[in-house]
Amino acid sequence: MDRVSFSLRKGRIVGLLGPNGAGKTTTIQMLVGITLPDGGSIRYFGQDLHRRREACLQRINFCSSYNMLQNRITVWENLVVYARLYRVARAEEKIRDLGAYFGITDLMRQRFLTLSAGQKTRVNLVKALLNDPEVVLMDEPTASLDPDIADRTLSLIESLRESRNLSIVYTSHQMDEVTRICDEVIFLDHGRIVAQDTPAGLTRRIANARVRVKFEGQRNDVARALRGRFGEVSLPARDVVIVTTEEHLVPQAIFDIGNAGVQIVDIDIRKPTLEDVFLQIARGNGRVA
Amino acid sequence: MAVSLERISAVLLQELYITARSVEVMVDLPFWSLMTVIVFGFVTRFLATVMNPTVAQYLYLGTLLWEIIRITQYSMSLGALWNVWSHNFSNMFITPLSMAEYVVAQMLSAAVKAVLMFGVIVLIASVVFGLNLFDMGIGNIALGFVNLLWFAYSVGLFILGIIFRLGTRIQALAWGLVLVFQPLTAAYYPLSIMPPALQTVARAFPPTYVFEAARAGLSAPAINWADAGVALLENLAYFALSLWFFKYMYRRSRQTGQFARNEE
Repeated sequence: MDRVSFSLRKGRIVGLLGPNGAGKTTTIQMLVGITLPDGGSIRYFGQDLHRRREACLQRINFCSSYNMLQNRITVWENLVVYARLYRVARAEEKIRDLGAYFGITDLMRQRFLTLSAGQKTRVNLVKALLNDPEVVLMDEPTASLDPDIADRTLSLIESLRESRNLSIVYTSHQMDEVTRICDEVIFLDHGRIVAQDTPAGLTRRIANARVRVKFEGQRNDVARALRGRFGEVSLPARDVVIVTTEEHLVPQAIFDIGNAGVQIVDIDIRKPTLEDVFLQIARGNGRVA
Repeated sequence: MAVSLERISAVLLQELYITARSVEVMVDLPFWSLMTVIVFGFVTRFLATVMNPTVAQYLYLGTLLWEIIRITQYSMSLGALWNVWSHNFSNMFITPLSMAEYVVAQMLSAAVKAVLMFGVIVLIASVVFGLNLFDMGIGNIALGFVNLLWFAYSVGLFILGIIFRLGTRIQALAWGLVLVFQPLTAAYYPLSIMPPALQTVARAFPPTYVFEAARAGLSAPAINWADAGVALLENLAYFALSLWFFKYMYRRSRQTGQFARNEE
């Protein structure tokens, strides 16, 4: 990692995005103290993580699709062990309450090994809330979940943020997830921050939207009306024109096509998404400024 | 950082759950020990009929005492691996649990297992096969137990350190490395039959003194305080060395990211 620096305010969700090998998981591992950074410092609640490890870790927690609980023992036994590790008061009551909230009450006697991916994620979320954390670090918590379970998990995370004013660091490959739940996104590439903004702010930095218009009329009139005025104009079919231009010029492009004496039949506008930002970085276009 | 008894008890509780629910642990610990005491009991009974009975007992004595090392070292090293294999080990260190607390818990767990299993096999050896270890004196047994336990702690910590640093690809050491010490510590035969150079090497390991004292104790149950003292001092040195090595390897493992990668 190279000069990665960011802060997380109470009740906010910061997303870490980037291609494979960008350093997302390494960042999370450093944030929870299982990997040591070469330099710099990590501070929670004004305290240095490595000098005040116990005090910091008592107030944070972690949830990942890659880190599991002990496979051989039951869900209940796992949660009892973790409750003790966090010195949770009235642990059994807490486990039962959280278990009911996440719908895992019926799984308590099952060995962790026998659970489905979705069930494991919910048990992991219970584990992640046992100590009433103020910060939760989530490393691709929805990876390997089917879309329905992933959506439910995201809803749970959203409701947790609301009900507990949780601060969350969230890594994912799913751009729609990040757009949906994150207040701020940090793009990492080769261990460095290459972009940092709100999801909307980041997509605004990708200048171009794409508008595809189907029309009835003379294609030459359309071409003449558009060429030279917009970034990229192509006519892939006799009755279709595609204009790639800055997002704020899309209405103007549609207006100009209508004024070219043709009848507009269909309009399809594709605005830039976080995925476009991701692709731009992943394909080596570097910094999104 | 303050040591928390509650966190130590959490690790012990997890050990109890894993032990109770794992066929592998039950086979590797009680089953293996029981088979060992029974098989070598019969071998000793047979050898006693064709050779000097005392000499035959040496083999049995070494076998029983070696179980203390095997059980303790197995428990120390495998305790971590059960969690690594479950992708749960690093999860535990994202809680306030410190590595010191974890190691203390593993040492306690290993000691409990060793006491229980050693007690059972000593009882079987005495009742079924007529070798009463108490003939060598309570003091000799207690000193020998402590010395073997402590030596196994050192070996266990050393192996854990290597696994943390190099990953689970060398996890076979958790079972195999301790066997290096079996021929070197004269577990089954008197030190005097080893070549002089190897005797010098053997005297560098605390179990050698324990096995020698145990054999001598069968005929004269007096404590050789000089040898016991040397063994304790060597154990102190080995434990300090293995603790330093373990801490170094653990720190390097976290610096290189290997500690987190061990579960990938």
